[in-house]
Amino acid sequence: MTDHTAEHNKPILVIGGGVGGIKVAMDLSEAQKDVLLIDKAPAIGGLMTQLDRTFPTNNCDLCTISPRLSSGAREKHIGLMPLTQVTSLEGEAGDFTVKLVSAPRYIDLEKCTACGECHKKYPECVRFVPGLDHRAPTCMRYPQATPQAFSIDMAACLDVDGLIKCCPANAIIPDDKEKTETRKVSAIVLATGADLFDPGKLDHFGHGRYPNVVTGLEYERIMSASGPTLGELVRPSDRQQPKRVAWIQCAGSRGINREDVSYCSSVCCMYALKEAIVTKERFQNDIETTIFYMDMRTFGKDYEGYYERAKDQYGIRLVRCRPHSIIPEKDSDDLRISYATDHESGMITENFDMVVLSTGFRPSAQTTQLAETLGIELNPHRFAKTGSFQPVSTNRPGVYVCGVFESPKDIPETMVQASAAACMAAKHLPIKTNEMPAAEDIYPPERDVTGEAPRIGVFVCDCGENIGGAIDVASVVEEAGKYPHVVYAEMAGHGCGSEALARMQSVIKEKGLNRVVVGACSPRTHEALFQETIRKAGLNRYLVEIANIRDQNAWVHSNARELATAKAKQLIRMAAFSVAKSGPLRDHQLPMNKNVLVVGGGVAGMNAALELANQGFKVVLAERNGRLGGLASVVRRTLEGDDVRAYLNQLVDQVNHHEGIEVITNAIVVDHAGMPGKFTTGFQIGPRMYYRQIEHGATIMATGAMANRPGQYLLDQHKAVMTQLDLDDFIEETPAPIADWESVVMIQCVGSRTPENPNCSRICCQTAIKNALRLLDLNPQLQIFVLYRDMRTYGFSEDAYIEARRRGVIFVRYQHDAPPEVEAAGDKVAVRFIDSVLQRPVEVTCNRLVLSTGLVADEESTEDLAAIFHLNRTEDGYFLEDHVKLKPVDMSVPGFFVAGCAHSPRSIRESIAQAQATAARVQAMLAQDTINLGAVVARVDPEKCATCLACVRACPYHVPFINEDRYSEIDPAKCHGCGICAAECPAKAIQLACFEDEPIMAKLEGLLERIA
Amino acid sequence: METFEPVIVAFCCHYCAYTAADMAGTMRLNYPTNVKIVRVPCSGKVDTIHMMKALEKGADGVLVAGCLDGDCHFKNGNTKATKRVAFVQKLLEEIGIEPQRLAMVTMSAGMGPRFAKIATEFTEEIRKLGPNPVGAAKQAQAAADKVA
Repeated sequence: MTDHTAEHNKPILVIGGGVGGIKVAMDLSEAQKDVLLIDKAPAIGGLMTQLDRTFPTNNCDLCTISPRLSSGAREKHIGLMPLTQVTSLEGEAGDFTVKLVSAPRYIDLEKCTACGECHKKYPECVRFVPGLDHRAPTCMRYPQATPQAFSIDMAACLDVDGLIKCCPANAIIPDDKEKTETRKVSAIVLATGADLFDPGKLDHFGHGRYPNVVTGLEYERIMSASGPTLGELVRPSDRQQPKRVAWIQCAGSRGINREDVSYCSSVCCMYALKEAIVTKERFQNDIETTIFYMDMRTFGKDYEGYYERAKDQYGIRLVRCRPHSIIPEKDSDDLRISYATDHESGMITENFDMVVLSTGFRPSAQTTQLAETLGIELNPHRFAKTGSFQPVSTNRPGVYVCGVFESPKDIPETMVQASAAACMAAKHLPIKTNEMPAAEDIYPPERDVTGEAPRIGVFVCDCGENIGGAIDVASVVEEAGKYPHVVYAEMAGHGCGSEALARMQSVIKEKGLNRVVVGACSPRTHEALFQETIRKAGLNRYLVEIANIRDQNAWVHSNARELATAKAKQLIRMAAFSVAKSGPLRDHQLPMNKNVLVVGGGVAGMNAALELANQGFKVVLAERNGRLGGLASVVRRTLEGDDVRAYLNQLVDQVNHHEGIEVITNAIVVDHAGMPGKFTTGFQIGPRMYYRQIEHGATIMATGAMANRPGQYLLDQHKAVMTQLDLDDFIEETPAPIADWESVVMIQCVGSRTPENPNCSRICCQTAIKNALRLLDLNPQLQIFVLYRDMRTYGFSEDAYIEARRRGVIFVRYQHDAPPEVEAAGDKVAVRFIDSVLQRPVEVTCNRLVLSTGLVADEESTEDLAAIFHLNRTEDGYFLEDHVKLKPVDMSVPGFFVAGCAHSPRSIRESIAQAQATAARVQAMLAQDTINLGAVVARVDPEKCATCLACVRACPYHVPFINEDRYSEIDPAKCHGCGICAAECPAKAIQLACFEDEPIMAKLEGLLERIA
Repeated sequence: METFEPVIVAFCCHYCAYTAADMAGTMRLNYPTNVKIVRVPCSGKVDTIHMMKALEKGADGVLVAGCLDGDCHFKNGNTKATKRVAFVQKLLEEIGIEPQRLAMVTMSAGMGPRFAKIATEFTEEIRKLGPNPVGAAKQAQAAADKVA
């Protein structure tokens, strides 16, 4: 693993290689900025790599993210230093000096092939992050670990000589030393995450004493295919499959006792639901699942639907209560939980086979130490302190933060903040002007091989013992020399080593090869490397084929040398037949237009425009209304008490006066055409509706949402009924009468979490508490009732909820099927509701009834815009991101990004983070001077096309269309390269480049044609 | 008589099944050598003609392996593949080839053990079925040609 960054500008230092840190590094490197990514662990990946699946999609995205991190695929801009920590920081933003200390790995990263011999022979010597235990199954932190290499714990190793000898790659360095390095960096991003709470500190739950009480993470490990039980769900005490599993929420969180923290960790409700759902999916009625919870906090985008499915579709039992203890059953490994609920008197006792404690995040002592080293302030909970309008900035200029170290959050939010931090950190680098070396400078001119008969060279790796141990490589090479068109074959040793790659290049030139087959490991990890190598030797990069004789042969047939050797021969024969039929391919390219269109002039749109303009991009900011400001212009205070109007005025001023931003108001989008990097959008502008076209390379959708105003509970019929937004304004503008009020009732979830508008608006619980506290500031005697369904004061806003209760606000839960009733009572309003504790109706006559009505999508405008731009929307009318976790602000149409409430309801602070994130993503996209569309795209042969529409119907992305010449056309700019159309086309008029029928058929021939 | 060793072609999608097969390697799970993998971007890319040609050329069994239901990298390629496999199975039945020689399977990228298990079970199943009649006929034809 070489560090390419040293000779360039001062890189950006990213501390912490979890999903957040990785995202920062990838965004910056995509934008051609140099990054130094350090992690204290031997491999990057962080917490996510230990999870089985991640919500809300319940898949394992590791498989999607990890190939992009493997050394072959990783871009030149990322230097990676595992086992490394920062010990000092000096200087200022743009010119920091850091001291980095790297712990010894005792393994040479250049040589280790991750074959696992050391782990097999000396398991105790291999360093491993256990996550439940048990050395298993590969001692890699996760199967696709990056760097793909082991790490040795020398202190635990008794037979050092034996260990050195057992390594076939000679990679063990027994006298490896700690290394200290001083580096110049321009900015720093902290992505250190947090620890998970150790519930062993709570004696009433018995974690650590009763084997079948596990944490959420331990349950993940048991469920994970790469975990200690290889994914078999068994309880630790007797390795039997449990029949009854319980989750206890808020273990160590939202509490006031010793070892508790007051804040909410924001993710545990969702992860408990996920674990229960995955359990149900796998075992249906064989396992009963019960979740004990206080408030179900499913406040994220479409999370409410997830919660509903958990209840209705999977039959997960939900019990609202906080059990006080777990007691082991006598003479058995079962566990007894006693609990009380609102609607039944007395204690209920139930037995479970296994109990999962949903533990939350705790800042680690190391991170606290790091904060001190870097001189950044922490909040009272020891998380990084940031501002209401600067969501990823710390108090020290040039030092940014993202992910859980900023506040507890899930993967989607972490990824958004990571991109935002990438955007902010990039500001401290000089703006680059066209210093990208042109392709010709890196590579020799490409040799034209058309018309030449194939001259194939075969290189077969032995990969140390990895391949050579299981098959007879020499005989494979000998046989390969006999295949048609093969003019040369040799053993390549460790074919991916730099020496072997250099040799491959010289052989290609010497022997005049025009095709290459490599018998090696998986193309998933090494195809890019070999493609690059033959390109350097003057061949088109698509003229190499890899036969996977390691992962899919030597490693799985170690017990059958002859058969494995025969299979290797067949695999190489298939590759040789196939590559003979392959031709050179061009990546599709177009010049990039570097201007940006931002649709929507609210807080999100303005922030995105400003960040991009500050980076030298020309931005057109189009607003439908007459003035900038959006939804935020009706908000007066944040939960923290900051003045929103002052912030907004200053923001509008900056945007209006920035020479890189052109603001067009009263602008309606009417048409759109083009492809990513080359769009044209038409507007009708102003009262006279004159038409104007704007050319741009990327588009940010920041069209916001609307304040909901449902006609419920006498809203707009009685003067004493208002929304939280109305109250917010009332408190600022006309506070005098409040001193005379006696009581105020607030009703939560009005018009949200209903069949008509199923989602949670996320902001209303915080808003209600903010306004309740402000009312109490003005009138401490005021009696305030908040009628709620679940209080969703996630993260640190839980503190405000505690404060409100302490100051006497009365919170009363109501059931969805028994909502409060409201009646006019003169200039007051009478509210009747059932008190859930007393189980009897209560009536309050109040001076004001305040409704938490939340937000709804601006359906009309998102529908129009979605139709014009071909964008996807959610069922409730918000714009849909490409991937909720991996690409949370990218849209599925390349070149489109989404920020703010147009994505889903969120706070101003969260909108700003998304805006900054879109700015980072746009910079990454526009860093290229050309649009590279890749080579794997489908192409239609007009001669063969019968215009049958099969492709038009089959394409999952609706790309093929019938053009003016009456045949199907596929825009390479939009094609995702799945090849489904090619398979469906009855006339065989469509071919998918790289996977054409000919090479695939040739592969079958190579396998099946009997050698005479 | 020596035991019959079937030749099995497995079309594996890049994002899930092919990765699962690599994972089986990483976990060093053993399965029979009979299965040979052809990598495709998506199981939905596997054409009717690819399945038929494999059998025509003498493969004894064909697997089409994609992502789990709902997890397709390309939205719904795997459901398209499932339908196509069912269609080809019908064709096979009509021309007198056992439809069990062709199967659609799904797995996530992390399911190395599942890949190994399927490879083992499918090989056994095909072994029980015996050689592909097309291949056997071809061999007989070749032998007859030689005599003549």
